[in-house]
Amino acid sequence: MAKSKKAKISEPVSIVAHQLKNPISVLYGYLEVLISEEIGKLNDKQKEYLIDALKNVEMMSKTVKDILDVSKIEEGEYKIKPRPADLAKITQKIVSDLSSWAKASNCEIIFDKSKGLPQVYVDPAKIGYVIESLISNAITYKSSGPGKIKVKIEKKGNKLMFSCRDNGIGIPSKDFQKVFSKFYRSEDALSLYPAGTGLGLYISKAIVELNKGKIWFEKNEGKGMTFYFTLPIA
Amino acid sequence: MAQKNNKAKILMIEDNIFLRKLYRDKLTRAGFEFIEATNGVEGMNKLVSEEPDLVILDLILPRKNGFDVLSEMKDNPKTKKIPAIILTNLGQEMDIKEGLALGAKEYLVKTEVRLSEVVDKVKKWLPK
Repeated sequence: MAKSKKAKISEPVSIVAHQLKNPISVLYGYLEVLISEEIGKLNDKQKEYLIDALKNVEMMSKTVKDILDVSKIEEGEYKIKPRPADLAKITQKIVSDLSSWAKASNCEIIFDKSKGLPQVYVDPAKIGYVIESLISNAITYKSSGPGKIKVKIEKKGNKLMFSCRDNGIGIPSKDFQKVFSKFYRSEDALSLYPAGTGLGLYISKAIVELNKGKIWFEKNEGKGMTFYFTLPIA
Repeated sequence: MAQKNNKAKILMIEDNIFLRKLYRDKLTRAGFEFIEATNGVEGMNKLVSEEPDLVILDLILPRKNGFDVLSEMKDNPKTKKIPAIILTNLGQEMDIKEGLALGAKEYLVKTEVRLSEVVDKVKKWLPK
């Protein structure tokens, strides 16, 4: 996207994002009641449309949250609450939560973790955001054939290293410098999933660094990308 | 505090008309008596006059904010035992800490909680 890397989320944008929270909650609540059929039975088409509407409200909610997070990161107000945490357990939960979506998208997620991994000293909720972003990206940006995502956690010295390897559409090498920039979307990504905001990797980088880790990626030989991050052992 | 009709009475202090409608319908269907206030001053008055069994409290409110309502209700012997559930858009750590320190039983962020979860929390904290 032709946006300056240095352009900040402006105050009016943050205010608008805040103001969208109530309407989002209202829409979410009404849709939840309708879909649960507690006030009346729906036909299949009605239910399908309402579930689609709900997914879009969830997307809106995520965008608002991401915009506010970016704004906080830029102002130095983004806080983490580190404590000893089990990275494999956090990852396992996210893999389970994403598995039905992955399956519906013809994607297989394989989670391979070494035994007896030590705990890391991180903010578990925020690190969960990073893991979810990386795996979600791998599902969203899959190639036309069956998708294969390998998630791995291993010990490297005094750190744990997380990796997420996919066989998806990949990132063009001309864009490598921009991957962790705000609003970055490759042309292929834009055509495959226009609704993405390009904020997930920017926020993920900030989170990993606030947790004293490092995040990077490599282009795979063959297809796809592998994203890595490391975190300090507790 | 026991109601004539034996239904637990829930007060919602919330300035958004649609959220009030959503919770009025949901909690009424769930078998509660629902009363409402649209600002902090009206909310505090109803806490005293209606003596609800539980209050669902927004924080950003006209006339008196939710922190002040909470603090005032905890200082009033007539209202201090009423369990309060904060339901707000403020999700900052310092707001959560302050809300819980003032005596709220739960601190829920509107965009992160489902309607049915709020009903579950209401059931959890109603005096038995």
